[in-house]
Amino acid sequence: MKYRVTHTTTYSYSEPASLSQNELYLLPKETPWQKVSDSAVTVTPEPAYHNFYNDYFGNCVRAFMIQHPHSHLVVTAVSTVLTMPPQAPPSETTPPWETVARQLFDHHTPADLEACQFRFVSPLTMITPAVEGYARISFPSGRPILAGAIDLMQRIFTEFTYDKDATTIDTSVDQVLVDRKGVCQDFAHLAISCLRSLGLAARYVSGYLETLPPPGKQKLAGADASHAWLSIYIPNIGWVDLDPTNNIIPGEQHITLAWGRDYGDVTPVKGVVMGGGVHSMSVMVDVSRIEEDTISPGK
Amino acid sequence: MTDAKLIHSISTRPQSLFDRVCNPTAGYCETFTSPASPRKHWQSIMQALEAMGPDYLKEQQLRAMRRRHEDGATFNPFEDPSEKTSTWALDLFPLPLTSEEWHTIESGILQRVNLLEKILADVYGPQELLKNGQIPAELIFANPNFLRPCHGITPAGNRFLSFYAADLYRDTNGEFKVYRDYGSQPAGLGYALENRIVISRIFSDLYHTTQIRRLAPFFHTLHTSILERNGLTDKDPGIVLLSPGPESRTYFEHALLSRYLGYPLVEGQDLTVRNGRVFLKKLAGLEPVEALFRQVADNVSDPFALRRQTADGVAGLVQAAREGSIDIINPLGSGFIDTPVLSTFLPSLCQLLRGEELLLKEDPSWWCGTADGRNHVLANMTALLVEQALDRSAKYPDIHDLQAAITSAPHCFMARQPIIPSNSPVWNDGVISGQSTLLRVFVCATADGFTVMPGGLAITADDINTLVGDSPERQQSKDVWILSDLPVEPFSMLAGLKTAAEFNRSSDLPSRVADNMLWLGRYLERAEGQIRLLRSIFKRLSGEARLQDIPELKFLLRLLNAISPASGEIDDETIPPYKELMSSLHNALYTRENPASVVAILWKVQEAARNVRDRLSLDCWRVVNHLEYSLASPTADPLELLEDTLYNLSAFSGLAMESMTRGLGWRFMDMGRRLERAMFHTSILNVGLPMVCDESRSALEALLEVSDSIMTYRARYRTTFQLAPVLDLLIVDETNPKSLAFQFSQLAEHVEHLPRQQRRRFSSLEERLALEMLTAARLLDLTDMNCGYNSTTHTHLTDFLLSMEKVLLDFTQQITAHYLSRVPTTPHFSTYNSIGGE
Repeated sequence: MKYRVTHTTTYSYSEPASLSQNELYLLPKETPWQKVSDSAVTVTPEPAYHNFYNDYFGNCVRAFMIQHPHSHLVVTAVSTVLTMPPQAPPSETTPPWETVARQLFDHHTPADLEACQFRFVSPLTMITPAVEGYARISFPSGRPILAGAIDLMQRIFTEFTYDKDATTIDTSVDQVLVDRKGVCQDFAHLAISCLRSLGLAARYVSGYLETLPPPGKQKLAGADASHAWLSIYIPNIGWVDLDPTNNIIPGEQHITLAWGRDYGDVTPVKGVVMGGGVHSMSVMVDVSRIEEDTISPGK
Repeated sequence: MTDAKLIHSISTRPQSLFDRVCNPTAGYCETFTSPASPRKHWQSIMQALEAMGPDYLKEQQLRAMRRRHEDGATFNPFEDPSEKTSTWALDLFPLPLTSEEWHTIESGILQRVNLLEKILADVYGPQELLKNGQIPAELIFANPNFLRPCHGITPAGNRFLSFYAADLYRDTNGEFKVYRDYGSQPAGLGYALENRIVISRIFSDLYHTTQIRRLAPFFHTLHTSILERNGLTDKDPGIVLLSPGPESRTYFEHALLSRYLGYPLVEGQDLTVRNGRVFLKKLAGLEPVEALFRQVADNVSDPFALRRQTADGVAGLVQAAREGSIDIINPLGSGFIDTPVLSTFLPSLCQLLRGEELLLKEDPSWWCGTADGRNHVLANMTALLVEQALDRSAKYPDIHDLQAAITSAPHCFMARQPIIPSNSPVWNDGVISGQSTLLRVFVCATADGFTVMPGGLAITADDINTLVGDSPERQQSKDVWILSDLPVEPFSMLAGLKTAAEFNRSSDLPSRVADNMLWLGRYLERAEGQIRLLRSIFKRLSGEARLQDIPELKFLLRLLNAISPASGEIDDETIPPYKELMSSLHNALYTRENPASVVAILWKVQEAARNVRDRLSLDCWRVVNHLEYSLASPTADPLELLEDTLYNLSAFSGLAMESMTRGLGWRFMDMGRRLERAMFHTSILNVGLPMVCDESRSALEALLEVSDSIMTYRARYRTTFQLAPVLDLLIVDETNPKSLAFQFSQLAEHVEHLPRQQRRRFSSLEERLALEMLTAARLLDLTDMNCGYNSTTHTHLTDFLLSMEKVLLDFTQQITAHYLSRVPTTPHFSTYNSIGGE
């Protein structure tokens, strides 16, 4: 599927902000199942300084600074992305989870070693007896790893309520587990914590999901949103994505931006501002399908 | 200390000061080989000390304490001065080491620091050691000391470790072993220097007759290496020393090193990153920083890239490091070598990377990350000391949960045998006792390797837990004398002390200080204005008149609503019933959550004063503390309380003005006062003007009262209250210190004296704004001003006030943008307004 993704973040300040430093994780990643044909970020006002670099997880980061007083900041990322259906293996054919945990512990291959960095607790994930207890229900001994992970995803989907107002970025995983409410990043952090508590490797994926309007209705521009899910590592197979917010294995409608240990590693827009008083932020995301032949040559 | 532990009596020898030094059953004895025979290198020192006798030594101990106190080391000046806290209190007796012993230490440490730097270069570079399984994955991936944002950064001169310290101890056989490595933020260098300065004075004869290696050449090397590595010249090299500030318990050391090395002492807020470069913010402008001697832990050095909640660092520092525009000593990420369990891998890494055996050994330890290690630890938990393996600062589990904690995250734990360090003599008020001793040594990078400071900080404590714990206030320290077989070249300590290290205060001031002064002035004035207004209201309420019979009450309440918007629920059209009104007023006075309440403003006064405490006299500070008492009792009569607080504020202002030199600090504080007063006046005039012409003229009187000009009015006009003279006095009369024109003329004078690039007058925007306000006030014509009809003069006046409100705001913003730094930073984070599951 081919998409044009437009992601606009606007900050308005009650007083002029004198200095603004930002890092953007808004450039989609090239993966075996995702090709990026173009991708650009524009910032208003024009930054005095900018720089690109690759972070430790291989994500492309754009850093910029605005050094004169300004009362608005608008960051727009526009990308054209071709997604392909990823090939998830039949879950019952995957190895038992204990075998995977053992193999990760030993990490004899470079791929296993690479996956190993997503095995440990990170600032926004937690390993507690409650988290492990919740995970164990989906992972009886000998269960194929993907079958267990899908079961865990399904349980989070059915047992937790999606509630935009229930959590903030500082709400901890154990709190989410008690309240049974949250948004996509809370569900991703919970699932990741569960998998890591069993010695498995799971990473946090930041991206977008195409939404379809109710039947017969016109899709509203800007009604989409950034999204988050997780990915689990299976030796010899690779990473398999899971979206506990929607209880699906992400397919062509999921567009991957970046991945890391948790939200903190890949926050789409992160910054500090000097001054600015009170700021308000608005985000507009638009994921539109484009037909192959409507793309102008060269793009 | 119990006597049983100390006593060691030798009946055959006359009583000696040193008799009680070593407990034969404990560790290695630094002083004696056997009870009666002192070690050779101690003999002359012991003789000299014995000859001085206990009384003389007691006197010298007092001298040393006094000296250190005067130098500022014995208490943190920002703590309550009556409560003496002392970091690494100085013990009178030095710890001498022979040149052979030092040679062993020096070569071992040089090998170790070279090895550690190689490991850092790999960890923050190709990570071959990880890929080849030579260091376990947990050591990188699960280790908070590994800073991911710093991976791939090449530090200045390719030096991954430019400053290093290690704690050594002697085991029972007298062999030196390593206890701990420090890369993130090696502390103690300044204390070692201070100890040497004090001890070499106290025992100057002994010091000069004994051949002791000097410390000064090390500091010289440290400095010249930074210069060479970055191609800097000795004149104005652009090197600063970054400290967390006066709250830090080693602040004394930062101040001393700053003075000794000649590097300005700065805090995170004094620096800013522009275009990927670090700059020092001064009133006169930004000055580029080439190198940063960091006394702030590496994981809090950049609140933007590393941790969100921290005030110590510089946002953007990692980006500047990535750009290679600054030499940070130590490079960010060097705290990786602080990882406790790393040392268990050093013997094999030394073989691998250097093809030789590790010279300085360690007592055996076991990491629970391997099955063998874990089994050994779990089987021997009572005999071993279980410690954090990765993050020394992590919370240690409750002893009952330890086993479970190890099982659930084995890689986070390690265990070692309890160490038995050596004993050295400590002079304690007439008695010498033997105390457990660690030796901290310091290393800096040179052009072609490293150099070890010939000396160090000996740390002592009565028990081993205190010794290895993290509370320097409970430990003592000693000067370390490295004895030399060769004559020592004289090298003056004081020659190194530079005088111009601090900011040149008369001509320039760190922006942060100026900023706090400005706000101190503003909050003081804001508190006064608010209190005066509330006092006028309470005064009227305490009389016998019914509320409806107080004609100016509506007027005063409207002023209050305008000045203190958060208490704005008071209905000033129909006066609310007494009880309701009192509760609203109570809110305006006491509610701390209400940012416009008197209490909240007074807290701000205290906060601002605290930030410039070193620039306020002790008397001023006492008055500030006194403010707290007056507000601690909300049951007291509000009127008395307001009077009392107003009195305190006046006392503070008087003292502050009396005791401050008329430098930039004073200017900023006074500018703050003038700004706030001008804002207060324009605002009440604006709100009050439509109401001042009521029949009784009581509102005019109230206006004068709130503006603190009633005495002046009476003295000058001896007449009833009339609009034109009242406004003249409050707005255009430049001889009335409460008038608007007076504030404007003061502001104009202040901005003229601020540092600036262009010498031409009125070249800066703030100068032009100040002049605009002053001119407008001077040109204001109030002669036709009358009550009774709405003249054009009225309109003129309203326009004037509105425009002054705006210009004052512009002026404040301009001053802030031009000179100040304490603009609060706020984090930006995109959140997910994500698609629902439904």
